[in-house]
Amino acid sequence: MAPLRTLFEWVQAFPTSIAIRESLDLYSWILVSHVISMCTFGGLVLMMDLRLLGIGNMRTPFSQVYRTLLPWQIFFMGCSAATGLLLVYTEPMRFYGNFLFWIKVVLMLLAGVNALAFHRTTYLTVARWDLDNGLPFGAKLAGGIGLTLWAAVVISGRLIAYNWFIPR
Amino acid sequence: MLLRFFRAMNEMGVSVAIRESLWMPAVFNTLHLLFLVMFVGAVLIVDLRLLGGGARAQPVADVARDAEPWLIAALIGLTMTGIPQLITNALREYHSDLFWMKMAILLVAVIYTFTLRRRVTLAEESRVSPAARKAAGLVSLALWTAVLIHARLIGLFT
Repeated sequence: MAPLRTLFEWVQAFPTSIAIRESLDLYSWILVSHVISMCTFGGLVLMMDLRLLGIGNMRTPFSQVYRTLLPWQIFFMGCSAATGLLLVYTEPMRFYGNFLFWIKVVLMLLAGVNALAFHRTTYLTVARWDLDNGLPFGAKLAGGIGLTLWAAVVISGRLIAYNWFIPR
Repeated sequence: MLLRFFRAMNEMGVSVAIRESLWMPAVFNTLHLLFLVMFVGAVLIVDLRLLGGGARAQPVADVARDAEPWLIAALIGLTMTGIPQLITNALREYHSDLFWMKMAILLVAVIYTFTLRRRVTLAEESRVSPAARKAAGLVSLALWTAVLIHARLIGLFT
């Protein structure tokens, strides 16, 4: 991991990285923006996953939940990613040495693969299961995996702050 | 009077136990955040529809009726994970302007959500003007965003 460490150490020394790190206000507002975009993204993903699992928002056809929520999910994922990257940019070495940060990164990648796989396979047949309650196994699987992975992302993200796994 | 109540909360056996535990504060805080995500989702799916950006072909009332159980479940979860965090930090919260601001806005937001907003969302589509619907969604978004900002700042500045 030597090149990665070098990259993180390099960014850590950037003047703008230091400036945000040492500012109380700017750092706080980036953090607040990250939490708000994350909650918005996560909340809308949850609403869609509940529909996929067949336990929520059942009065609305799935394709409609999908079409109307997806653009907002993507928008707020962008906001979460931008503010999240900024947080890492501000304190690279704090995250580099944090086990839970890397767990979170892997979990997010897996959640992305799950969403993409659903979009490329099960969603293609949506016309057949859009309205009724007979959701195909693939839909329930994608909903269940998505729900679990994103919940784990939120949990690991929150716990980064507790510094439990920092080698001393 | 209020200070004595907060001091009493702060000194309760449970408060001390949670405060001195290495993992309990983190567990309550994380569960609180998960319920918050659920809450925001249940609020937003309806607000987006009110603003005309969500499930357009669907009656607002249908979207709202579907979201309501999740909204209420999340609110109960938030309260049950919020109270342990309040009693363990009662004295610090008592002296925090951010805490009282959050509680004031939260009170307004909860009352608004379960009275005015509920009436607008469950009313016959033809009886509410599009402008009123948009306004109802915007007020909801503004109130809950304000609650979230204060909530996060409490963790940073108290």
